[in-house]
Amino acid sequence: MKKKSENEENSWSRREFFKIGGSVAAGLQMGAVAGSGLAAGKDPSTHNGWQHLGDNTQFVDRSRMIRQGPAYEIVGEPLRPEMHESAFGRQSLIMRDMRQYREMIRSFDAGEERQEGMGNRNALPRGETSPETTGGQQPGKDETGFPPMDTFSEPMLSWYKNRPDLYELDKYRVEEILPKKREDEEKYGDYYTLINAWSDSWSTHESISEPPEISDFKIGGRSKLKDPMPFKSRVHAAQLIKKVAHHFGATMVGITTIEPDWCYNYKLRGSEERGSYEVPKHWKYVIAFGVPHQWEQVNSNPNSGTSFDAYSRVSIAARRLETFIKSLGYPARRHSPMDGYDLIAVPYLVKAGLGEQGRHGIAITPETGSNFRAAFVTTSLEMEIDQPIDFGVKEFCEHCQICADICPSGSISKADSNEGMNTRGYRHWEINQTSCYNFWMQSMGGMGCRLCLIACPYSRKSNWLHSLARKVDSKDPTGLVDNGLTYMQKNLFVAPEAHEYLPPPDGHFANFREPPEWLQVKNYLDIETTDPSIGD
Amino acid sequence: MITNLVVFAFIIGLLTGAVVAGAKAWARALGLRMSWWKWLLSGLWYFLLLFLLFAAFTFMGEGEVAAGWKVLGIAVLILVILGAGLARILLAGRTPPET
Repeated sequence: MKKKSENEENSWSRREFFKIGGSVAAGLQMGAVAGSGLAAGKDPSTHNGWQHLGDNTQFVDRSRMIRQGPAYEIVGEPLRPEMHESAFGRQSLIMRDMRQYREMIRSFDAGEERQEGMGNRNALPRGETSPETTGGQQPGKDETGFPPMDTFSEPMLSWYKNRPDLYELDKYRVEEILPKKREDEEKYGDYYTLINAWSDSWSTHESISEPPEISDFKIGGRSKLKDPMPFKSRVHAAQLIKKVAHHFGATMVGITTIEPDWCYNYKLRGSEERGSYEVPKHWKYVIAFGVPHQWEQVNSNPNSGTSFDAYSRVSIAARRLETFIKSLGYPARRHSPMDGYDLIAVPYLVKAGLGEQGRHGIAITPETGSNFRAAFVTTSLEMEIDQPIDFGVKEFCEHCQICADICPSGSISKADSNEGMNTRGYRHWEINQTSCYNFWMQSMGGMGCRLCLIACPYSRKSNWLHSLARKVDSKDPTGLVDNGLTYMQKNLFVAPEAHEYLPPPDGHFANFREPPEWLQVKNYLDIETTDPSIGD
Repeated sequence: MITNLVVFAFIIGLLTGAVVAGAKAWARALGLRMSWWKWLLSGLWYFLLLFLLFAAFTFMGEGEVAAGWKVLGIAVLILVILGAGLARILLAGRTPPET
């Protein structure tokens, strides 16, 4: 009897434990879910913007590591660094003296009268700016034989006298290492073809000052490209180009073929002639790629944003990619915001399968929506091409119209579809570029607007919630999800009305979202400002 | 990041186990005659609660605070309505609670 009662008591207490424990666990689970939801929303890695990592790139709190006292202990007379102290910086001075020494020897051999000194020995070699930039200068194939120490001029003469060990090391480099390196390059160089092309890409950029038949075939001061390196297949070529393009800074990459209709018809960059031209024959392929804007500032358009962050990044990626292709022996030309275009962007983005053209006239990609800027490289390198994609943008844009509703200049069509629209023979959404441009001139901050880029529902963050919505929407053939998402987009999210983006008195230079704190003058500058939202 | 995810999944797994054990204890204490489909409905209701909570706080986290509150308000409404229906189903034909 007593045992049964104990069992009942144990049973009761166990059940109470589970009841209370389960309730506490449910509360904790809800808290954990809410907290992780908050973290998922905040997570900078889901921003559809360029490398936004919040404060995470410099993640160590240095305030705990501060030590007292100067950075270094002073143990002698402090001196400023001389150029010849550095092995890199010394290189240009060595070459100057080596050339003058050889000139002197040649003069002797020719029986000419010896000149006092060896020319302007104080002159620095051309192109020299700092030790770091002159380190790459090396004696040429015929420039062997290191001069005797006493034939060097100042400051090298005194330096070598004080540091004969360095004289020996420099001599060893010029007389032993470099000739051997040239032999090695002859023998093993091909093994490092891609690494050299990769390195060139980061260091060499040609200006586009000549027409394509010249500039597209030049690299690193050489007027001729080396023989084209054969690829295993077009697929391999496309794979490699896409991989390196990503490393050069491109977020999305696609490849397609040239379409003469989509090349400008008035002038080629670098060419003196104006007017129509034949598209260069070596422009067979177009590599299209894009880079998004920085997330917080693209959200603070139109009056506190800029185009130039993405312009700059995508243009640099284009320079690198052009050089990479040229280094492999193929002609190439970049088309980018900072270096200009010979072709129009959006059709190539669509044809290369990077996105679909939206109601606002720009391309919408599955990754970053409308938030990106494009550049291109035209080349003769044979590559596997990509195909246009369909992820439901056409249907979504017909239902949505958010960009048209929010456009301060009313430049975006509110038609039910793009039927009947004809732009140079092609059907797609068209906008009133002139009224759009007029608003650019009215807006404050970095010139332009870009409101449609960020108001587009496809430009929302790539966190689980928006990614799920985009994925479900692309699979729904009924249009119900389109309508549901558009309804939610319009009713859940708060944004100023179209007229509020206009200058006073019609608006107050509103932004889609508040600019980040680091773009707000009041937080950093000690100047008087007039807040347009307060009014006169 | 992966480590955080693993730790998070581990903790959520432990909590889920505790919630399930607690739910069983509560069902017995309240005298509910649970069948597999009642458990399924209860599980879906609880999943919906967590899902909507997660969604609302995701909006808040990404700076869309107003959207977060709206979703939370809608979530409460939906969950109360569904919860009332679920309670009627669960409480129907229950036996006297065990003491």
